[in-house]
Amino acid sequence: MDSSTETPETLSRTHRFLIFAGSAGLLVAMATDALAVLGRHVGFAVIGSIEIFQVAAVVALSSSILMVSMMNRHATVDLIIGRASGRTRAFLAQIGRAALAITFGLIAFGSIWVAVDLWPTTEMTELLSIRLAPFRLIWITACTLAAVHFSVSFAKGLRK
Amino acid sequence: MTLLPEAIGLIAFVSLLVILMAGIPIGASLALVGTVGLALLLTPEAALIKVGVIAFDTVTRYELGVLPLFMLMAQLCFAAGASGDFFGLAAKLVGHKRGGLGVASIGGCAGFGAISGSSLATVATMSAVALPEMRRQNYHPGFAAGALAAGGTLGSLIPPSGALIVFGIIAEQSIGKLFAAAVIPGITQALFYIAVILIMVRWKPDLAPPGPRASWRERGAAALRIIDISLLVLFVVGGLILGWFTPTEAASVGCVGGLVILAVRRKFTSAALSNALLETLRTTGMIYTIVIGAIIFSTFVSVTGIPDHMIGVVDAVGASPTMAIIMMAIMLLLLGSFLDGLALMLLMTPILLPVVENLGLSPIWFGIFLVRTMEIGFVHPPLGFNVYVIHAGARDIPLGSIFRGVIPFLAGDFLHLAMLIAFPAIVLWLPTLQG
Repeated sequence: MDSSTETPETLSRTHRFLIFAGSAGLLVAMATDALAVLGRHVGFAVIGSIEIFQVAAVVALSSSILMVSMMNRHATVDLIIGRASGRTRAFLAQIGRAALAITFGLIAFGSIWVAVDLWPTTEMTELLSIRLAPFRLIWITACTLAAVHFSVSFAKGLRK
Repeated sequence: MTLLPEAIGLIAFVSLLVILMAGIPIGASLALVGTVGLALLLTPEAALIKVGVIAFDTVTRYELGVLPLFMLMAQLCFAAGASGDFFGLAAKLVGHKRGGLGVASIGGCAGFGAISGSSLATVATMSAVALPEMRRQNYHPGFAAGALAAGGTLGSLIPPSGALIVFGIIAEQSIGKLFAAAVIPGITQALFYIAVILIMVRWKPDLAPPGPRASWRERGAAALRIIDISLLVLFVVGGLILGWFTPTEAASVGCVGGLVILAVRRKFTSAALSNALLETLRTTGMIYTIVIGAIIFSTFVSVTGIPDHMIGVVDAVGASPTMAIIMMAIMLLLLGSFLDGLALMLLMTPILLPVVENLGLSPIWFGIFLVRTMEIGFVHPPLGFNVYVIHAGARDIPLGSIFRGVIPFLAGDFLHLAMLIAFPAIVLWLPTLQG
């Protein structure tokens, strides 16, 4: 899709928030894992490091997928679209937006279904007893917002 | 009329090819076809729940964390200014020989590929660094561009490689073993390219004239510039192969090492760090969407029974493993003319891997074979992404000239691929040592 060259300074507030949340998640995951390696070789244990890594990864990945969606940077095979006329390209891009809206909508819907099923079980991690529901919520919110973003883009495309 | 699962699978496969070619985002294409297929074969409710489970499992799977962390390590190394250093050293060592800068560009691609893990990133960066230098020394533009386009593919194979990580995830294979398996094929691939350059300049000396000789002081200074990053890559990949840490831990340690290098080189600024994180998140979001789609699609393929059907066909034909692999290579190369490498891998792995396993071949070997075939698609027409990347940076070199420049390297690629098929031990020796 488009290939703009944003730097952190030129991005909107929403993008900056997503970068901040995603970066924090990524750095926490990295630091926990690196500390666990150090601990194993030096002689102390970081209990539940994998669990911390997993929940930090949810934050990082939810943010990054939403950010990429808002920047319209999902990967495509460009063989035909790259050589098509402006009109055909606009039409195919419109189908692409619809496809992404449906995909993220389906993922969000499926995730909500699973979260509702698991709600009474108070699902949590084994060692640190971290409740997973808030992280499921973060994931569902990211997918829903991505679906909404592509639906709005699709609707705007129809009006043009 | 009720369609057989295999027929639904076949229709889905063709539909997927069509919508991918139409430019529908890869992740959405895989996820949609997979979900619709699951809904038809199971029930819509079961399909939706499956999609929900797969998506959250993918983002929480610890083993998958290796992907963003290796990307972050690469971005930190770029921020430390590693882009041209490998080429700089190789150019100072052999640039004074005929074809020396060509050889240096292959060395630079191998070194940079070990950091970036991506063919396109390698070719984009190395062509910006090496192509102007080669042209200044009156290298034939098509030959120089061809060497870089081919050399760039090393980024997909030399560990830590993004393509191998994705294969490991989709095929549920050990990423450590895949990295170990890629070491010798990566080195031999680079040697094949160097051999091609030496043969070409012997045949046509005007293609690549010799340059000025660098002093030993200059060579020493260039060597010093790559020592920290080389040690980091060796430590990370070596530690992973030796079993000191898991792939995800290796990537985390690599990131910490990258931060230290950034600080030692006095480039640890908030701008450098935030750019590295932004680039990592951007690529991660894109690839994870594709991975989620690929896992949904792969689940659907396993429900269709197509892999069992393929196994039955191969058994019925009585094809030997070598013949079956040659047929697969031809099919992959043909499909690679229309699909980019990642799409090709995600589309074909769930279908071909069971066949390969049934033939008694190693999935690790298949991973290297698949990435190697995928790499060839990066340089052969009509797609040849690497060629277009170079052309975008050097518009005055006609596309035809670059594709002609690639042909000798493609010949080297086919020979190398044949070698990997004929002698699987080249791939499997190191992973066997791992136990």
